[in-house]
Amino acid sequence: MGADLPTDPGWDALERVAAGDTGAFTGLVETHQERLLRLCERLLGDPEEARDAAQEVFLKAFRKAGEVRPMGQVYTWLYRIAVNLCFNKLRRRKLVRFLRFETDPEEPGAPAFDPPDARPDPISALEARRRWQSTRKAIAKLPDNQRAVLILVRFEGLSYRQAAEVLGITEGAVESRLFRAMRRIEADQDREDAQEKGAPRFPRTEGKR
Amino acid sequence: MNPMMEVKLELDLMRLLHGELPEERARELRAQMERDPALAEEYRRLQESWEDLALPPTAPVPPGFAQRVTARSRAEQTASTPGWVRTAAALALILGTIVGAGVGWTPAADPIQEEELSTVDGSLAESYLTTLEDLEP
Repeated sequence: MGADLPTDPGWDALERVAAGDTGAFTGLVETHQERLLRLCERLLGDPEEARDAAQEVFLKAFRKAGEVRPMGQVYTWLYRIAVNLCFNKLRRRKLVRFLRFETDPEEPGAPAFDPPDARPDPISALEARRRWQSTRKAIAKLPDNQRAVLILVRFEGLSYRQAAEVLGITEGAVESRLFRAMRRIEADQDREDAQEKGAPRFPRTEGKR
Repeated sequence: MNPMMEVKLELDLMRLLHGELPEERARELRAQMERDPALAEEYRRLQESWEDLALPPTAPVPPGFAQRVTARSRAEQTASTPGWVRTAAALALILGTIVGAGVGWTPAADPIQEEELSTVDGSLAESYLTTLEDLEP
């Protein structure tokens, strides 16, 4: 886990932040803002909420700059703060909905941001949107811990080791959560396909091996 | 194959797909897939499901995001300055203005007010106002 311990210059920047160098802090935010905003939006499904969350992540990092022990990459530390913060927000959101007797099966996948589609071909654009929608739905149904692993590995391109570092779990736990998540998604997709077309997309037979 | 072995094999297929399987085991598994079409099909299915997962591009970074975050951090820093320091600074400022006025010199403009107009975060202004609030009986 600590193989890349001394390499990230971000730790020096954090030391300067702790000493009151706000210029170093701006640099740190500029370096990591894109990936942090992206991660928060992937987890929360809402760009505006993601902006607030990412801002909060950086402010937490600012407050903790003097206490953190350099280990691994700075961005994995920031990711850890972001994942915890976003999950707290999601839990609060669920609680509020529960108290209001609201249900939202699409949650958290109903972003206000409708991205422009660069595809010139309307059929492939339509297909892309179908995939986005189906992925959002599938991810929304996953338990928080599986969703986090899937987003970190599939969409943030983290290795198992990095994902484990972010989530404070073992690599084995990352594998197992990812495996369960994929099984669940495949089962959901099979069910949907069966309902739509009358046949599963990936027909599975018992004891085929 | 017993269920435990099946899960172990599926886990290995997933690790292979994600480039997480040690090279030796990866070679073994590839060779096994060549001999076993059902296993190869299982791998293809896993690969397709994985690649089928797609999310739309996320919103771009809003302009001035880093500056706004820095401004908020400055405001926090200022707010965490001990009260007596802020009070002393405000007293010195007020005293300086009174003394300046007494000798016939009037500042062209309140530098704090200017700061309030020019800074993004208004943290100095905030500190100034907080101090003034502190001074009120």
